[in-house]
Amino acid sequence: MGKYKDRVDLFDDRGRQIEKNVPVEALSPLHNPAIQEIINHVKQTVAVNLEGIQNALATGSVGGKWCSLRGRSVKADVVANADTIAKALIETIQIRPNDDTAIKVLKGGKQLQVTVPLKRLQAGVEYTTAVTAVAAALCHVLINKFKIDLWDADLVHAAVWGRYPQTMDMLGGNVVSLLAVPQQNEGMGYALRNILAAHVAMITKKNSMNAAALSSIFEQAAMWELGDAIGNFERFHLLGLAYQGLNANNIVYELVKANAKEGTLGDVVTSTVARAIEDGVITPLEKKKSGYTVYTTKDMNKWNAYAAAGLMAGTMITCGSARAMQHTPSVFIYFNDLVERETGLPGVDFGRVAGTGVEMAFFSHSIYGGGNPGVFNGNHIVTRHSKGFCIPCVAAAVALDAGTCIYTPEKLSGVVGDVLSEVPILREPLKYVNEAAAKIKGDF
Amino acid sequence: MTNYKPQFYPGTTTPSKNRRKYMDPSYKLQKLRTISDDDLVRIMGHRVPGEAYKSTHPPLEETGEPACPIREMVTPTPGAKAGDRIRYIQLTDSVYIAPVAPYVRAWMYHNRWRGTDVGVLSGRVPLEMRERDLEKVAKELVETEIFDPARTGIRGATVHGHALRLDENGMMFDAQRRYIFNKKTKEVDYVKDQVGVPLDKPIPLGKPIAEDELRKRTSEFHASFEPFRKDQELIEWVQRIHMLRTMAGNDPESIKGV
Repeated sequence: MGKYKDRVDLFDDRGRQIEKNVPVEALSPLHNPAIQEIINHVKQTVAVNLEGIQNALATGSVGGKWCSLRGRSVKADVVANADTIAKALIETIQIRPNDDTAIKVLKGGKQLQVTVPLKRLQAGVEYTTAVTAVAAALCHVLINKFKIDLWDADLVHAAVWGRYPQTMDMLGGNVVSLLAVPQQNEGMGYALRNILAAHVAMITKKNSMNAAALSSIFEQAAMWELGDAIGNFERFHLLGLAYQGLNANNIVYELVKANAKEGTLGDVVTSTVARAIEDGVITPLEKKKSGYTVYTTKDMNKWNAYAAAGLMAGTMITCGSARAMQHTPSVFIYFNDLVERETGLPGVDFGRVAGTGVEMAFFSHSIYGGGNPGVFNGNHIVTRHSKGFCIPCVAAAVALDAGTCIYTPEKLSGVVGDVLSEVPILREPLKYVNEAAAKIKGDF
Repeated sequence: MTNYKPQFYPGTTTPSKNRRKYMDPSYKLQKLRTISDDDLVRIMGHRVPGEAYKSTHPPLEETGEPACPIREMVTPTPGAKAGDRIRYIQLTDSVYIAPVAPYVRAWMYHNRWRGTDVGVLSGRVPLEMRERDLEKVAKELVETEIFDPARTGIRGATVHGHALRLDENGMMFDAQRRYIFNKKTKEVDYVKDQVGVPLDKPIPLGKPIAEDELRKRTSEFHASFEPFRKDQELIEWVQRIHMLRTMAGNDPESIKGV
């Protein structure tokens, strides 16, 4: 028996039904095998920029911007030898032959996608094992392969690891993980929140439904890790993940469809409230003198999930019709303003999304610096306050942008997005997570 | 889903009723003045009248789009389709019974127009949109009852003055003197664009709306007119939201049928 009675129907990114009547707990990071595989992939898989290493060795430009060691140069045809490097790398990283170590050579040898065996992570307590193991192994492989002597070995280290350990992270390095180093997390359990919206948009190849899903999985799974999704708030986050991120009951898709041609953000608010009334989530409480009806609910968590799905649809209509990401904070504030005024019930995350929108508006509209929505994540100082409900919308908006920003998602994400988009479960999470939920629905 | 009729806003006083009216997209804003397309372009100052729209990316038809079900469903605005730059118009509303309160602008914009990026600050409300979409919306913002030449200002920079007393002609203070009261015509003439660059010739925006007329049209509360505290229904709504946000934030499962 599961803890909660809630059951949902599952749909794909195009509104096609996958399964009926699935316990919502089948979508929990604690149970869903596909979500757990996604999280493992994030921990185990890193991107290697072989072209970057080759250029760094050739020019002595290592350790990030403005760092160039004049007179230092090592000629090594790294890209041309990608296949042999990959073979040697797999032998160095694997624990046993034919274990779960995996390497893919991409873009004609310019990039590698490396997955370290899970046992390496299990032998430690930090998630940094993937980058450290791959970076160190790669140094050994390159030094052996190109017979680099003692006097140039340091250049190989700098080309691979970047400026680390002078810097906290691998600044200017060419082995990149989706996860930042633990020291850059704002608090305990924030690792999965410290992923740029631009990365998510690029990994999902700008399919906004999948971008929303992947981002929601990261954000909401982090809630279990940082101690929010527990006790009275577990169901709150579970329903948020299902309805806002994973298109449960097809609400997000249908709200977008209903307003796709001419709808405004206000129309999405109306449609959301109508759907909540229709499904019995909210009911009239009393009629006021002006004729205004105050609504109430017996299930505040469910109402929050409906409003969160509406917020996602509102983002998709507003940023989708403008094909621009910058509208996201405006949607955060005014979707919630409007929905509160329409119903007399609190907005998404009980006011925190609206508050986050105010801060994000300042920091994404050049008033106090900041950057475009692509650089935001759940670990960002101005967007961490709504836990789990903002960043999925940001990721969807970044995916819908047609090229309005100087720093495009392609530029911001670079090799990581490119390489990880080759992992099907990361690229199309909605499909895999829903299918996995359907398989385990009988467990609850 | 289609049968639900939105109610927009609670409250019994004139400002509340006007808020409901302006926020309702089925209510057609009453046109009070005419400004030519070219003059509006001059005041906004983003391009020279007649000049082609500059673009930030090629038209969507040329670039194609990634495979995304949402992009396939959601029709882009004409400006997005063409790849227009995103530009802005920024308005300042006097606290002295201007037609629109800053926050009402945001609610109204999002209810009436697609693809709007609006933010509300203490003395100004910027609206950012794709350029050709913006020009269409800006025309409605300036030509209709939600604009008063004396108490609403088109101000891209140096916006403050919304909380200062009106001058002898009933005009809101503007440190850049972008517009003047023309004593001969009794109309307000814009002599500078929204960021204060002088215009080649003044652009008249019509006569200030009369005080009694403004009192009928305003969506602002004011102590000297209809104070906020007079609207009991609205106060109850504010207190309710405050209570529910707090209580649900403490324990969402504890809120049942309140």
